[in-house]
Parts: sequence; structure tokens; C-alpha cells
Amino acid sequence: MVVNIKSSLSNLQQNDIQNEKIIIETRNLDFYYTSEKKSLINVNIQIPEKKVTAFIGPSGCGKSTLLRNFNRMNDLIPGIKLEGQILIEGQDIFDKSVRLEDLRKKVGMVFQKSNPFPMSIWENVAFGPKVNGETNSGTLNEMVESALKQADLWKEVKDRLTDSALDLSGGQQQRLCIARALANKPDIILMDEPASALDPISTGKIEETIEELKSNYTVVIVTHNMQQAARVSDYTAFMMVGELIEFNDTKTLFTTPEKKLTEEYITGRFG
Amino acid sequence: MNNPENIKHKKRVTRNNKIASYVISAGGFGIILSIAAILLFLVYKSYPLSSDANLEKISTASSGKNKVILMGMDRFQEINYSLSENGEISFSSNSSRKVFSVKNIDLEENERIIFADKGSLRNETFALITNLNRIITAEIKMTAKYQNDKRQIVPSLEIIEEFKADSSGFSIKNFIFTFNENSDRIYSWTDSGNNLNLRIFGFDDEEIFQHNLSGFMNSDEIKSCAVNHSGEILICGTKTGELFWFDISDFEEPELIDNWKAGESEITAMEFLLGDNSLVTGDGKGFVSVWFPVRNSEGVQKFNRIHKFKKHQRSVERIFVSSRNRTFMTIDAGGEIILNYSTTCHTSLKFRQSQKKVVSASFSPKSDAILVTDEENSTGIYTLDDKHPEVSFKTLFNKVWYEGYPEPDFVWQSSGGSDEFEPKMSLIPLIFGTLKGTFYAMIFSVPLAILAAIYVSQFAPKKFALIVKPTVEIMAALPSVVIGFLAGLYFSPLFEKNLMFLFFFTAILPVFFLFAIISWKYIPEEKKVKLPGGSEMLYVIPFAVMAFIAASFLSIPIENTFFGGNINQWFYEVLDTKYDQRNSLVVGFALGFAVIPIIFTISEDALSNVPKSLTSAALALGASRWQTVKRIVIPAAAGGIFSAIMLGLGRAIGETMIVLMATGNTPILEMNPFNGFRAMSATIAVEIPEAPVDGSLYRVLFLTALLLFVFTFIINSLAAVIGDKLRKKYARF
Repeated sequence: MVVNIKSSLSNLQQNDIQNEKIIIETRNLDFYYTSEKKSLINVNIQIPEKKVTAFIGPSGCGKSTLLRNFNRMNDLIPGIKLEGQILIEGQDIFDKSVRLEDLRKKVGMVFQKSNPFPMSIWENVAFGPKVNGETNSGTLNEMVESALKQADLWKEVKDRLTDSALDLSGGQQQRLCIARALANKPDIILMDEPASALDPISTGKIEETIEELKSNYTVVIVTHNMQQAARVSDYTAFMMVGELIEFNDTKTLFTTPEKKLTEEYITGRFG
Repeated sequence: MNNPENIKHKKRVTRNNKIASYVISAGGFGIILSIAAILLFLVYKSYPLSSDANLEKISTASSGKNKVILMGMDRFQEINYSLSENGEISFSSNSSRKVFSVKNIDLEENERIIFADKGSLRNETFALITNLNRIITAEIKMTAKYQNDKRQIVPSLEIIEEFKADSSGFSIKNFIFTFNENSDRIYSWTDSGNNLNLRIFGFDDEEIFQHNLSGFMNSDEIKSCAVNHSGEILICGTKTGELFWFDISDFEEPELIDNWKAGESEITAMEFLLGDNSLVTGDGKGFVSVWFPVRNSEGVQKFNRIHKFKKHQRSVERIFVSSRNRTFMTIDAGGEIILNYSTTCHTSLKFRQSQKKVVSASFSPKSDAILVTDEENSTGIYTLDDKHPEVSFKTLFNKVWYEGYPEPDFVWQSSGGSDEFEPKMSLIPLIFGTLKGTFYAMIFSVPLAILAAIYVSQFAPKKFALIVKPTVEIMAALPSVVIGFLAGLYFSPLFEKNLMFLFFFTAILPVFFLFAIISWKYIPEEKKVKLPGGSEMLYVIPFAVMAFIAASFLSIPIENTFFGGNINQWFYEVLDTKYDQRNSLVVGFALGFAVIPIIFTISEDALSNVPKSLTSAALALGASRWQTVKRIVIPAAAGGIFSAIMLGLGRAIGETMIVLMATGNTPILEMNPFNGFRAMSATIAVEIPEAPVDGSLYRVLFLTALLLFVFTFIINSLAAVIGDKLRKKYARF
């Protein structure tokens, strides 16, 4: 296991967080699902722009919770409480002046299980632009094509854009969901274990797509799979029981972790 | 693995599995079978309506040498009598055809009966006229007596009166006799001098009036006459095809009301049908028509030709009328007999006894048999099987011109005051009523139920939803009798009394909602955040209350200022629509109550079952809550919502008690929401206790049930098929 990760890290170049432009920043973030249980404890993290950042950690460590706070998807859950700040491009996303719809347009999301709408492929991709006010069909067509190209799906579906999205294979569906998020032209794409329900080939394709995306987008990915984190991410954050244990560039984190907990986790002693 | 215990266990599992699958399939098949059985039963009960008349010859026998003038049968179809020209009345048994009794009307030696006419459809009272111009009135009674539990029909003859017709040397050509309930006896006869003589015996003051009406008739030769049984109308037909209508209700002063041309050919025979309204005429060319008086545009009653029947090859000679319904037989000079039914304009039978001329014929009292005697004195007895002559596809689904109506129309009036009533069984008003009730119920309940379902499933605070849903579901358990009772006895008068308030409240409620929406924007965000999601709706409630209060204060002044103090009156005077207390609005409201829980529950389930992953995806793409609901949730739940609406529709169509109690049950064809209607289901419920088993009404009600069954079956099947398609299209998740 460790050997594997190391081998996939060997071709990664060293990154330095000091030189990066920060796009997401949390300050003393506490989060409660219920008033008794703290799910995030004093999280301070700075996520660099146009890089892939992975959140790893054992189940229930809060990595998905943290991710879902970046586009305020947790707001849907009744009874939650949040303290501290989340800044995206320097703007507090819980500020009154922030429209939730605008935030979510800027911060796209891909879910663990592919969830295409029961509509045509075209309708799926055009959904975001449409609800955000785009009506010109020419523009929509261009947006759909570009999003599908970026998600590496264009070649496979260009002749059947009007077919139901539900006729696509599982991997294609997930790439469609990526395309759907991209069509909104977001700055950030949050991915919540996007490949966990897919076979290795589809997973490979998704990872390739993520690789290509990082030149234009900031990608934050939650994953259970440490090899995946090692393969695709530039930076990795390791979390445990609601706390951010260590955040560093991926190579450093996997080869010379500063914390003992991190080392124990990546070497497979627990998790 | 294979120890005995394990094998036993496996066997038991297999056996239980088999038993369970048998029981389940038996249950399923049982349901399908019982539905099929209901359908079959309904078809079986209503199918005889479509059957045509059937005539079966029982026997023919010769009835002596003398010419037969008049015939009749008892009501049990056991014996028949025939009056011969020599005054001999022979009674014979129908089965053996043996003459068992002979009674005589005493005539002089060379006296011969030339005409005889039954005066009534109710009994065998008749009058005859002889070549010596003697008129004799008599009654034949055929009384059933029971001896040793065996029925025996005992005939008797009673002479009522006898007089000499004064014809001053002319020979008698036509003779008709009418005997009505008041025991007035009206005799009219024409003679070779073209005189129309009328002799009326008014029973009340035992006076006799004699009139000669020839002066009214421009010397046109009279060919036939008829007097209706109430003794009010005398109609004469002439050689040139003209009809003269006399009012003879004033015995002292007969009056010519109207005369008109009926056709080119001479009127050879005429008779009033049961009910005294319709007149059947037959002419020299064989045309048969039915006439009855209709008020024309100037308000004057005129006889109109209502129906034309199948033409005879030869001239029509005799017309005989059934005493049961509007069946009549016309007999032409060639001996051909045609059986027609007036209302339906349907020719049910065409037959001839022989190539010979028919001299006399008669319906049995129950119209279930026919007697026919031809020139050669051969008398045939036929059983007539025509159970539902008044019902045909035309009467059920087309406009029919009923007696006393100004024009053909769709009418449902299945029973009337007397046996002479013409049944009017058009299903169109009932179908229309059902659809009207359903329509108003649906426009009231569908928006309400679906919007409520959307709110409760998508927007309402969880706690609120947890209370609302079971509450609405309990509403479904309310017996419809209770709803109908409330609607009919409480809400109808309440609505009528507070009509202005209702209208005004409905009008200003949206305005107050608008206020609510506008004021919502001014509530500071900090406070809104603290409220649970979806509480916007609860915020609207005080505004609805305010609208209610405003409406209750303002409606009376408004009614006084703009609607003359009474809006019901205003509707009647200005808009010419009458506001009935029990009307379609009340029914829509009450029926809505029954339908809302069904639509609400099923749509709410469908909406709640849309996976969270889809709504999350839409929200994550920057869609607002309403956009998510509109573009994702509703399409995905469309199949379920559609099924919900269709099930609600099925319920509304089949609902009985509410429409029965709250509609007033008026079978009218008007879409006006302020008057009632009569639904199919309510008609079945109301009329089945009154319908004689296997009678026409009984079968028509079964047909109505069948239609209702088919309606709901189609709707439910459509709901299943389309709902399934929608689900396949939008809801594969």
C-alpha cells in the first residue's frame, strides 16, 4: 500500500502552499449537526486556486461536512449550527449580501452517486445555465458542448444529446454530472467521492478529467481512496474526528507527514 | 449442509413458498374475476334493452261464418271473444280454441252490425251500430274466479244503453265511441250525406247533446274521425287530406279550433294513443304519422307532425292502440300489419296473417298478445314479446320529441303521475350531470390539493408537515353521507345567505395575499433566518383572516350599493340566471372535500419520493427552491400526480351520497354553476327502489351503472397507463 502510494507520488512535483493564491479559507470553523455533537472543530484551512485539493480521513471525520459547507449544502439540514467563517475569494459566504444561488453557481458540486436528472443529456447540462437565466438557445448549445468536451464526454454523446441521461453508463453519468457542474462556469468544483461507486476504468477516466480540469478550475475532492488522492491531488488535507490534522502538498504529506496520526493513517494502521 | 434437519428446513421453505404463491395468485385472480363478474352482470341486466320485438303465433282457428266485427282478450291471455255481425259474442279458450260460451246481443231478423268500437283502453266497453241505425252500448266483463286454486275466467255481458241514431235516410259510414272516466259517452258518426253527428251523454247531469258539425267542413268528404278518451278533442280527416280539430269539451257548443292540410291523400284511419296526446293517422297512400299539439312561436297550440313511420304498400285501413304503452298497429288494405312505437319512431314488427284483408284485430289488455281476424274469418292469436319498446339507442342518447314538448330534447323523467305517462329516459342529462359535478369538484379540488401537496412535501416545516398529512388523510375517512348532509343542509343555505360575502371574499383574498408577499420583503433578514423553512405560508394566515374580516364588513354595503340589496335577485334580474340553493358550487365544494384527501395524499407521496439526490443536484447548480420544485420535483412526480388526479376523478364520478344530497337532482343540461344537476350515481340510488324488477327503468338504471363502471374503468386504466409512461419518462431514479 505504502509502496503503491509512493510510486504514484514519484512523478508529482513538489508544491509550495506559500506561493499559491488562496481561494477558499476557513477561519476557526465549528460545525454542529445537533447542538450536542460538534462535527467540525476549529478548522482552519486555505485551499489554493486552480489546484486539486483532496480531503482524506477515516469515515465520519468530517471531510464531506467541510466540503458541503463550501457551497452551503448543509443549510438544507434542519438544526445545524455553524460558527467561524468561510471565505471564498475573500468574501464571507454567510454574509447577508451573498445570494445562495450565486454562491452555488460559483461553487459547483459533483456528488458521490451520479444523479443525472431524468431528462435528456442536453437538458441536464443546460440546466444550470437555464436556472441562472440563460435563455438563448445558441449560447446554451455552446455551453453544453464546451462543458461536455471538458468532461471528456462530448465524443461519446454528441450524436444522442436528446436521449435520456439515464441511458448512459454509470461512469458516463458521473462525467455528465461533472459536465453539468462545469456548464455553470464555476470557479470551484467540489467533488464528494466522485468515483467511489464506479469501476476502475470509469474511475480512471474521471481522474483524467480531474487532471485536465485543474488548469481552469479549483477542484476540491473528498476521497476514501488514498491512492486516488495521491494520483490526482496537488494538496491533501488529512482530517480526523472533525479536526484538520495536517494539510500540505500531497507529496510531502504522503512521504514525510509531520503528524504521527497522519503517518499511521496513510500507512494503513487504522482507517 | 445436508443433515436431515437442514433438508427438512429447505423442504418447509419450498412448501411455504409454493403455498404463498398459490394464495396470492388466487387472490389476484379472484379480484379480476369478481370485476369481470360485475361487468358481466351489468351487461346481462341491461342487454335485453337492445332486443327487438318478437311475435310468436300460437294458433289460428276459424271463428264461424259471420263476419267478425270486434275482438278482445282477457288480461290473463286465457280466453278471447269475438263479436260477429249477427250480434253473437262467442267466448273461446285461447289454448283449445273451443267456444265455451256464447252470448247474444238481440238484433232484429235482418239487422246486421256494421261498426263497433271500443270506447276505452281500460275495459271492454264498446258500442255498435247496425244497418238499422240502432246503436247499442255494452260491456263485456271477463272476471277471474278461483276454484280449487284454479283460475277460471267467467265472461258476462251487460247492455248499457240502446238508442236509434237519427240519420234521416243516409247510411252510416264511420262510427266511433268514447267512454271516459267520468262515464261520459261520446258517439260520433258520419253518414253518406257527409254529416258529422255527435251525440254526447253527459253523465253528471244525464243530458244528451246532439250536434251536426258538417257546417264547419266546407263539404269536404269526411273519411275518418277520432275522439280522445277524455272527450275533449275530436279530429276528422277528409278525402283531400285535411284534418279538422274540434274542441268538444263544452258539450253544448263544439268549436272548430284549427284545420290544416296533412297530406295529398285522403286520411283513412286515425286513433289517439295512450295518454290522449298523440294522434296517429294513416292515409290512402299508406303513410303513417303521429301528431301532437305544440305551442308555436305565437303561443298558439297547433298539431305538428312529429314522427313519420314506415310506409304501407296499400292504404291504411285500421289503427289499433296498445293500452300499455305507445305501441300501435296499422293495418293496410292488403292485410299487412305493422307495429310501431311512437316515442322512438321505431317500427318493431311487420307481418301478415294471410293474403286476405284483415277485418278486425286487437291488443290484449297487457299488450302481450295480438288477435287478428281476416276476411275468411280465420282468427290468429300471437304472443307479442316487446318488453322495452320505449328504450332504444335513440331515446337514450339522442334528442327525442316527447309529447307536450316544444321541440326534440334530451329529457330524463322516468316516472309520472299516471300509467299513461310517456317515460323519458335520455341518459344525456345524467351523463352531463355527472361530468358537470365532476368538473366543478375538480376545479375546486385539484389546484388546492396539488398546491397543498407541493407545499407540505417541499416547503413546509417538518413538524407542520407531520401534522398536516395525517389530518388530511383522516378527511378521506369522512363518510360521504356526512359531507353530503353538511353540504345539503348546512352549507347550501349558508352559501345562499352569504353569497355576496363569498364572492367578495374570493375576490379580495388574492389582494391580501399580495399585501402579505410585499410586506414579507420588509421583514429583516435576521428574523427570517430564525424562522423554520417554509413558514412563509403560515405568515399568510393572518392576512387571510384580515381578508375574511374585511369581506364580512364590506359585503353588505357593497350588496346594497351595487346589487340592489340582494345579489341573488340581481342575478335573476340582470343576468337572467337563477341561483338555486342546492347548486353545483356547493357540490363542487363538498365533492372537493371527498376528493382532496385522495389527490393530496397520493401527490404528496409522489412528491416526497423524488430522491433527495435530484433536488440536491439542482440546488447545487444554483437553482432556487422554487426552480428546483418546478423543474425537477414536479416533473419527476408527474406520474404520481397524474394518477392522483385520475383517482380523484374516478372518485368524483362515482360519488353518490354527496351529489344526491346537495344537488337538488334536477336533470337539466346547463353548465351554469348556480343550478344543480342529476348525476348517474344519484339517479341509480334514488330510482332503483321505484323501478319494477326487469322493467325498462330497471334495465336502464343497470345500463347507467354499466356506463359508470366503464367510465371509471377507462379513467383508472388511463391513469395507470399514462401514469406509468410519465413515471418511465421522468422518474427513473
